[in-house]
Amino acid sequence: MKKEKQILKWLNNDLSSKEMEDLKQSEDLQTLEKIAHYASQLEVPKVDSQAALEKLQFKKKPKVRTLNFKTFYSVAAVLVLALTSGYFFFYNINTSIETQIAQRKTFTLPDNSEVVLNAESKISFDEKKWAKKRSLTLEGEAFFKVKKGQTFSVKTTDGIVTVLGTQFNVKARKNYFEVHCYEGLVSVTHNNKTTKLPPGKILRVINKKVENVEDFYSKNPSWILQESSFIKIPLDQVIAELERQYDLKIKVDGVDTSKLFTGSFTHTNKEIALQAVTIPLQLSYKIEGKTIIFYNYGAN
Amino acid sequence: MTNNETTLCDEKYFRDFYLKHVQSASNFAYYKCGDSEAALDLVQDAFTKIWENCSKIDFNKAKTYLFTSITNLFLNTIKHQKVVFQYAQDAQDAPNLDTNNQSPEYILEEEEFKQKLTRAIASLSETQREVFLLNRIDGKKYREIADLLGVSQKTVEKRMSAALQILKAQIENI
Repeated sequence: MKKEKQILKWLNNDLSSKEMEDLKQSEDLQTLEKIAHYASQLEVPKVDSQAALEKLQFKKKPKVRTLNFKTFYSVAAVLVLALTSGYFFFYNINTSIETQIAQRKTFTLPDNSEVVLNAESKISFDEKKWAKKRSLTLEGEAFFKVKKGQTFSVKTTDGIVTVLGTQFNVKARKNYFEVHCYEGLVSVTHNNKTTKLPPGKILRVINKKVENVEDFYSKNPSWILQESSFIKIPLDQVIAELERQYDLKIKVDGVDTSKLFTGSFTHTNKEIALQAVTIPLQLSYKIEGKTIIFYNYGAN
Repeated sequence: MTNNETTLCDEKYFRDFYLKHVQSASNFAYYKCGDSEAALDLVQDAFTKIWENCSKIDFNKAKTYLFTSITNLFLNTIKHQKVVFQYAQDAQDAPNLDTNNQSPEYILEEEEFKQKLTRAIASLSETQREVFLLNRIDGKKYREIADLLGVSQKTVEKRMSAALQILKAQIENI
């Protein structure tokens, strides 16, 4: 390329046709002409300017900052932590009230409904949602005096008891589910079957079997008055109740625990209570430390 | 012009500015990186930068600022990629030098030449290539290129000259 200046001028379109002729005479332009021609034929990506502009709009308003992944991860970690702990704090932990063995508690729910919790029982409910949904979970036994209002439901492992406003007792123990209706109308759903209980009626399920129970006439469950009463209840359930009311371990020695017991025992005197259960069934008992052993009268 | 500063911050003016220059900016970015997607990213980033700094930029120099931004962004982000240039598939868009000569030999020869040329262009330095292609494809004069790049016309001419020599040497050698 001897005539560099001329060539540059040519490519800048600054050359007259005569100068161009001169240049062609003096230099071999074949390759350069091809280069010049074909280079200008190269394909250039066509930009859809409107679309590209619209895309830019999104980027435009907030200043674009490149995301620092370290910060991103730490922020994400904190968020996850906050959300999960928040979840457990605010959603999962319901208000719960518990009683130990030989203990009883009376308290009022947010809507002023009254609950009396018998020994070794637990109630839990969501206080925040109480206004919208009167629903609680019960393990054990409790007596409810429900204020009139929306549906009030008691969930147990054996069934759901729903009412509008009444007095009722729910006993949900191991292999034992019993609902007494004292006032109003109680609806009990057990095994997808709903039963309506008017006052004086009882629904009793022992070992998953629904039993026919005679009506009752008391105004309150007897345990409220420091007494547990039973009508045709298997002995093992009675023993379980004894264990709950007095901190005891009761064992049986050759005694048929499916025997039915009708009667009651007091919560205030252990001796009398044990006698009240054993004598009518012709049983005796002996005390060995903290354990009580029931055996057939005259067997020893 | 006293209200220059406000004009570019005005969305309407900014849009006009964008639509007017986006294609040539994209071409320029493409000459640099040889990758159409990366080119558009560079251009978008450069425009974003202009929008963000609209109050600091003289409207008359916005175009130079745009090209300078692309250059800087390119230097910062794209580290030596393999540069690929292509010809349009449609022969209508890329006619041969001698359009009358339709002999298969000639067409094949020209095809080969194009291949060599694309490889040779890819081998140019990025500054040589941008000058060469801005002149060839965009048909820009050396003066304009100098203004865009913020360098002297003499520099542009030197780069152009160097580019031509390299291309010629490469093509004639192979």
